[in-house]
Amino acid sequence: MARCVETASPILMHHLLHMSVFSQSFSPCGKFLAAGNNYGEIALFSLSAALGPDANELSQKPILTFTAHEGPVFSLLSTDSHLLSAGNGEISAWSWAELIKKCLCALPPSLRSSLEIPEINAMALNPADNSLAVGGGDNNVHIMDLENGAFKSVLQGHTDYIHCLSVRERASEVLSGGEDGAVRIWDTRTSQCVHCVEVYKYETCARPQHGKWISCLTTDSDWMLCGGGPSLSLWHLRSMSPTSVFPLSGCQRQATFYQDMILTVGEGQCVSHCLMGGEVKAQIPCTPHSINTLAINTNSTEHRVLTVGGSSDHIDVFTNLSYKAFSLRF
Amino acid sequence: MSAEALKKRKAKVLRAEGVTPEVKRGRGEGDAQVTELWGDVLLILPGRRDPPTLLSILYEEMELERRDPEQDYKQYKQTCESLASLMGEIQELKAAGAKEGCTEVEKRRLQSCIHFMNLKKLNRLAHIRLKKGRDQTHDAKQKVDVLHLQLQNLLYEVMHLQKEISKCLEFKSKHEEIDLVSETEFYQEAPEEISRPLLTKEDPHQLTLARLDWELEQRKRLAEKYSESQTTKEKIAKSIEVKKEHLGSLQPGLNAIMQASLPVQQYLSMPFEQTQKQTEVARHLPPALYVLFVQAKAYGQACDKNLSVSISGDVDEAKALSKPPEDSQDDESDSDAEEEQEKTKRRRPTTGCQLDDKRREMLKRHPLSLCLDLKCKDGSVLHLYFYHLINLNILTVKTKVAPATDLSTAVSAGELLNAETLLSCLYSGDLGQETPNPANRYQFDKVGIVTFADHVGELGHPYVWVQDLGGLYFPGEAPQGVRVGSALSASHMEATMKLLRGRVQSRLALHKQFTSLEHSIVPIAAESQHLFPAKVISRLARWTTIAHQDYMDLSFTKHVTGAGLAKEADLFFMAVLERGTARLQAAVVLSPRYPEVSPLFSLCLSWKGEHSGSTDDNLRAMESEVNVFKSELQGPRPGHQLLTNQLARLCVCLDVYLETDGEDNSVEGPREFPREKMCLRTVRGPNRLKPFKYNHPQGFFSHR
Repeated sequence: MARCVETASPILMHHLLHMSVFSQSFSPCGKFLAAGNNYGEIALFSLSAALGPDANELSQKPILTFTAHEGPVFSLLSTDSHLLSAGNGEISAWSWAELIKKCLCALPPSLRSSLEIPEINAMALNPADNSLAVGGGDNNVHIMDLENGAFKSVLQGHTDYIHCLSVRERASEVLSGGEDGAVRIWDTRTSQCVHCVEVYKYETCARPQHGKWISCLTTDSDWMLCGGGPSLSLWHLRSMSPTSVFPLSGCQRQATFYQDMILTVGEGQCVSHCLMGGEVKAQIPCTPHSINTLAINTNSTEHRVLTVGGSSDHIDVFTNLSYKAFSLRF
Repeated sequence: MSAEALKKRKAKVLRAEGVTPEVKRGRGEGDAQVTELWGDVLLILPGRRDPPTLLSILYEEMELERRDPEQDYKQYKQTCESLASLMGEIQELKAAGAKEGCTEVEKRRLQSCIHFMNLKKLNRLAHIRLKKGRDQTHDAKQKVDVLHLQLQNLLYEVMHLQKEISKCLEFKSKHEEIDLVSETEFYQEAPEEISRPLLTKEDPHQLTLARLDWELEQRKRLAEKYSESQTTKEKIAKSIEVKKEHLGSLQPGLNAIMQASLPVQQYLSMPFEQTQKQTEVARHLPPALYVLFVQAKAYGQACDKNLSVSISGDVDEAKALSKPPEDSQDDESDSDAEEEQEKTKRRRPTTGCQLDDKRREMLKRHPLSLCLDLKCKDGSVLHLYFYHLINLNILTVKTKVAPATDLSTAVSAGELLNAETLLSCLYSGDLGQETPNPANRYQFDKVGIVTFADHVGELGHPYVWVQDLGGLYFPGEAPQGVRVGSALSASHMEATMKLLRGRVQSRLALHKQFTSLEHSIVPIAAESQHLFPAKVISRLARWTTIAHQDYMDLSFTKHVTGAGLAKEADLFFMAVLERGTARLQAAVVLSPRYPEVSPLFSLCLSWKGEHSGSTDDNLRAMESEVNVFKSELQGPRPGHQLLTNQLARLCVCLDVYLETDGEDNSVEGPREFPREKMCLRTVRGPNRLKPFKYNHPQGFFSHR
């Protein structure tokens, strides 16, 4: 190891030292993991090799690394055939069959002319009408038709940039959370804002010392999970009221429902396991000091793992939820 | 019983009555009986011899001749018997009661007296006979003795003669040791008068004599020839001497001419003389240094006028060193080792000092060393002294920098021009602490040297590039087209010289920068002005050097030390930036290969609590702003302004950090740091980073 460190060029070492992983996506087959970092690179890891019986140090390194964008890759998404990556004001689609080949480059029209190109922070796929919701630095949610790549509609209403998006398929609704502290619920058919929840105004979840932004948002039938500056809280959508607030100290960046639990990550060197009732069941330590992304591979039962990436060049892999198995490294 | 008693009785008789009656009766009887009696007496008392007794003796002697001893013996027997019978008769008579003096008894007594007489005579005769026999034996013995003596003499004589004969037989002649020509050769070569075949063919003695003669003849001739040769040799020697003298007389003249030509050489700037001298000395350099000398000189002539090479050290010692053959060295050390073992057993206290001697011997330097002076554009000179360690067969280097201008002493700059660390990591990972020759490991084990690093201060650093320059190749882990000798040296010369010069220049530049940094001024060159906004409020408060261990102990540098980026060879500094109540600590790792390897900053901010790069994403972004996006900070090549520009950018980033923080808390009244920087957006992206990137002409801050 020491030998290896010595031979690596110091420039490369500095590069790795300051790397952050912002986004992850599993391939449709579930055998590969794509991860995007702050340098605009996407690395492809082979889960089957890393989880295989003859796994070694080398199988924890990416099988392919390529520069996809100028700026950081804040969002990655897999469709049946493509990997979608969002960079500074542009979305690229990469064929899973031939990853190096960039198929499509789309720029949301309103983003092009500003002094600073706004970033894209979130993408969400709506399988109902094969459309993609994109949210970012221009405070708007853009709906793109994946059939022809055209932008169908713009959902305007947020006063600051959008952090996160979630699609409620059954109700054909899109939810968005932004820096302005609001969670907006949009009807995709009419492109109108149905509801606007300003979470920081609810005393139970407000945390003025942190701020009001909403940086994580996820839905499951009638339930919504949101957090950020305010505490992570579980909402009942029909009654539009918070049912439980989770006592987590840091600002959460991503949360997900998993079986009867809630897994959440954010500031702090751990993955938190929470129960619906509002208790924190466990906090599992991991490598990065703050975590940006969390993903569960549901595409393959064979390689069902939880992966976590953040302010480090390591992506921690949990084969069992209760402890870190190993790390994939850039 | 009766016989014994008889004898006693008889003796008594002899004593009591024998003598007197006999004498009485003797006078009464005839002359013959008297003489017989006197004869008896005379025989008993030989001192008194009267003529008549002598006569009777003569007579008896004559009688003796006539008589037969055998007969005498018989007579004696008879006499004894008859005496015994007479005694018996007397006894019988006495027993029968015969009276004293009766005739019968008297008669018998008379008879026995006669018998006694007879016995006496026989006795005398026996004596005479004995005497006679004795005399005869004595005579015979005398004769035998004489003869025996004669025999002894003769035997001695024989023995002596035999000895003489054997001595003669064993005598070794000198001629046997002389190597003679073979017989056939002798007959062929020797003249007739010496060989004399007629005589010598038969007689081997003569033959040998002849051959010896021939030998003598020949030797005489050879001696003559020898003396002749000697004289010719002397003659030739004399002539040589004369010629030498002549040549010697030429030398001063030539010297004078040389001396006279020196000013001309100097005038024409053709230092023939000097180079000739140098090459003369260079002949005594060890091979590695010679290769370095030749290559450095060649490179200096061809490409680099500011490189000069010189040789220093004791030439005579080097000459002496090159003479003894080195082949015995190994065995010696082997036997030495054994000896040493023995010695350690015997006397312990002295081994320490012996080992010391051995160590010193092992680390011996060649008396000659090479000095390379590398002049930089600004006039400062890098002196490199190359040494060859004879027994380890490696080259070491010592360095010295002579700056052009007198450098003011900055405390934190102390390490920068330190000869020990100046050239470390000239090539990546080349610390110059361990010997690059793998064989040395075993040599060290023998004399108990733990590591070469202990002796580096004294002997100089054995950098790998130094071995390369000297053409020494040691198979290491990375084999790259094995070249040895001059080819290896030549292939490294240019790159290494450039690196050396670059290193000195960067160190000198840093030295200057540190002086102003210590006065809390971050010097920004005109070329780099555009990188920073005009107004920067955060200031550098302190710039100090810290020890490696102190750096390791810092809590906010764990990620750097964990990645192995803080090595012993690096230099460590602590910069403190301040603005108002905020205090930013920046721990800096400065690689010896600066500016090729950029300095690495780790941050820790004390403001509203303690934050570090690992707990605050914005501080992490600031770290990457100076550590990763440094290419724009390098300034004009070779990037000597990198460190100061990094510090300046850190000041700018701190301004941005403080001014954009917590903007939504409008309730808290006046802010400590009013927003002065123009930012498009204060936060961006999922981790809500602040805009640290300065856009030059427009003067606003944006995100990466």
